[in-house]
Amino acid sequence: MELALIIGLDTLNFTLGLLLVTMGLVVIFGLMNVINMAHGEFFLLGAYTMYMVQQAKMPFWTALLFAPILLAVIGFLIEEFVIRHVYHRFIDTILATWGISLALKQAVIVIFGPSSQSINNPLPEPVEVFGVVYPGYRLFIMGVSLLLATGTFLFFYRTNIGLAARGVIANRAMAASLGINTRFVDRATFAFGAATAGLAGAVMAPIMSVDPQMGVGFLIPAFLSILVGGTTSLLGALLGTGIIGTSSTIVSSIWSQVVAQVVVFGLAIVIIRLFPEGLTGRRK
Amino acid sequence: MSFFSARNLVAGYQKESRVLNGIDFELDQGEIVALIGRNGMGKTTFLETITGHIAPSSGMLLFRDVDITAAQPYIVARAGIGYVPQGREIFNEFSVEQNLLMGAIGKPELANKIPDWAFTIFPVLAERRKQRAGTLSGGQQQQLAIIRALVGSPSLLLLDEPSEGIQPSIVQNIGTTMAKIAAESGLTILLVEQNLELAISLANRCVFMENGRIVEEVEDISRLRNDQELVHRYLSA
Amino acid sequence: MKKSIGYISSCGIWIALALAPLVLDEWGVSQFAQYMTYGIFALSLAFIWGQAGILCFGQAIFFGLGAYLMALTTLEKFSWFGGSQAIGLILAVLGPGLAAHVVGQLLFRGRGLSGAYFAIVTLATAVIVEIIAQHWSYIGGFNGLLGVPPLVVIWREGLDAFITPMENYYTIFFSALLIYLALLGMVRSPLGIVLATLKDEEYRTRAFGYNIANLKIIAFTCSGAVAGIAGGLFTTQFGFVSPPLTGFALSTEVLIWVAVGGRGVLLAAFLGAIVVRYIENVLSDTLGSYWLMALGTLFIAAVVVAPRGLFGKLLQLPLPRRFRQFVPKKL
Repeated sequence: MELALIIGLDTLNFTLGLLLVTMGLVVIFGLMNVINMAHGEFFLLGAYTMYMVQQAKMPFWTALLFAPILLAVIGFLIEEFVIRHVYHRFIDTILATWGISLALKQAVIVIFGPSSQSINNPLPEPVEVFGVVYPGYRLFIMGVSLLLATGTFLFFYRTNIGLAARGVIANRAMAASLGINTRFVDRATFAFGAATAGLAGAVMAPIMSVDPQMGVGFLIPAFLSILVGGTTSLLGALLGTGIIGTSSTIVSSIWSQVVAQVVVFGLAIVIIRLFPEGLTGRRK
Repeated sequence: MSFFSARNLVAGYQKESRVLNGIDFELDQGEIVALIGRNGMGKTTFLETITGHIAPSSGMLLFRDVDITAAQPYIVARAGIGYVPQGREIFNEFSVEQNLLMGAIGKPELANKIPDWAFTIFPVLAERRKQRAGTLSGGQQQQLAIIRALVGSPSLLLLDEPSEGIQPSIVQNIGTTMAKIAAESGLTILLVEQNLELAISLANRCVFMENGRIVEEVEDISRLRNDQELVHRYLSA
Repeated sequence: MKKSIGYISSCGIWIALALAPLVLDEWGVSQFAQYMTYGIFALSLAFIWGQAGILCFGQAIFFGLGAYLMALTTLEKFSWFGGSQAIGLILAVLGPGLAAHVVGQLLFRGRGLSGAYFAIVTLATAVIVEIIAQHWSYIGGFNGLLGVPPLVVIWREGLDAFITPMENYYTIFFSALLIYLALLGMVRSPLGIVLATLKDEEYRTRAFGYNIANLKIIAFTCSGAVAGIAGGLFTTQFGFVSPPLTGFALSTEVLIWVAVGGRGVLLAAFLGAIVVRYIENVLSDTLGSYWLMALGTLFIAAVVVAPRGLFGKLLQLPLPRRFRQFVPKKL
């Protein structure tokens, strides 16, 4: 029973961690139809922000503020100088963001070196939940993930700005003719997506090995999650990360992480093949 | 200065093309003008150029003494030009209410909510305010698109073939309703139409377009009904 | 007159490559042979990406498979072939071709994956294939396989039979030329013209009665086979195979070569690989870790402002004469 509970918590932990990382990807892919290959590096920069905050002996939580702000600025600049030139060329967005990914990762290597940095765990005390002892910081991550997902949902589906953003995606020309500044919406959405990636990086940094390659590891499961769940809604992201997260945790607890990667990938391919628009996607 | 004017406007979809071949056109405040011409004569291109979706290669657009030539679409909209495009272009996935809200939130000077009168003009919209707009009939979608534009409180409304693909009773309803609104509020309307009934019932002046130019102007709108030769010249194939 | 520029510059490049050993020292000769091997790899990607609009983020799967098959055969891991290099090369063509065919069948049939989905799925596949290669001890695991022998020539015996750098150069040169001409022939055949239409509006081509899935599978199979040859030739020159040859990083590197060279023109992509590898060799000492930043930036620039790449315009060949009548005259 206790084992089942721990596996359950692990599953939830992995899934919510994945959801945290996937959020920005969903916003940028689902709302802007841009496949952001640099998402992993946005995540990476968020993690290094946490590292810098720690080096500067500043309190842990300031990184949770600085990382999204830094990444929003970077996202804004990248949108302005690169992304906006390729909106109408869908495939090229993959390539351009891949180039950004390469350059950003290398910039991190130049500045911080290729080796891995360790971050102190800000909440080292384990916590007892439902009768099992579980690392406190992991529970914190789960909370942040839930907050971010709920916040993002409310922002895009319950506010006027969110409505405007979705309107621009649905029909750019018409939204513009209703007085909506579509360029501003583009910039803001991309910056928002980048900021959530930065936040995810900062939050996850204490439980990861922070090195220049850390972004890639999350990129693939994050992409598979949104393809499995469907790109058009946040609900799809929830479902996708749930499936990928659950199957990964269970398979790796039975066999090994390598087997889990292969099995989960195979599962994802089958689902994507059978439901090309994702499980929640509508057929066109 | 006139309320709206286009001067020697030249525009097209590609660099070399001249779909609009030097348009000179004036509108006075409160007028309702019908722009009539066959398919492919440049009517929609003219509206798309006014609204900023096509950049003119030369010429000038003035609206209430402001130069809006090649202004971005949202600037044009905020200046007070409402647009109901051909094909209605409603947001299918949004509810009726959200579609109307879209008309308001782009305008910084307006409150970010739908005014109450928006649901009284076409009562069917009130009945279906939570319904997905894509499930409405063509006529209802047209009504929605018109109110969506009006919610943004424009002083000039551009209507592109509002009768297209819509059952005659609704066309008539739209015509009388728009005439009433214009009379009450002083709204200026530029109506692109091939449906003469709607043009006659709504407009008080009519201009004809051919090959990217305004070629004739008719002050007496009843000639559309009586002058067969005139209508034949600009509308029959 | 203007039309012939593409022909002249294309021939010029092949002639220059044929004559290059005259001005290169032995080290340079072997370097350029390696660049041309990457060039063949780039051809395989340019063929499906530039011609049919299939963006494959896992092209190294086929390159690596070819390399592994060649290594496994010549190292007599496949003992029943007696270490024959000829059979190794044949396997390095057939294996990846077959693998690409299967992947194509899985991904293009039915409603099929297109565009971005195909890119992401192939990317994920490359990552997984690399992970599998790392953990499969039969093929050497993390370390891969070392000591793959260079090619031997049949007209010498014993230890002298190993290929000289000069012979190797021309082996690669003529392989590249043959593959280039074969792919060019396909591109300029009616099949190639139909493939090119897939880049824009697939449904239109389908509406004309073409079986899109079949066309894509044929193209993808050929592309896989060519990538496989490149992999096979690679391993004889470098003497080793290892998991990264099948993976994500190499898959994206080849994308960069092709994008920088010019994705729409086969020879431009080939030249892109050579030029990028050459510059990397020259500059990586002086620029150090800044090199990858520069390359990333160059790649972004190529994608955003120059989709035709550095050489696309220069090397663009005019349409085959028999198709020209279908192209509308410029107004």
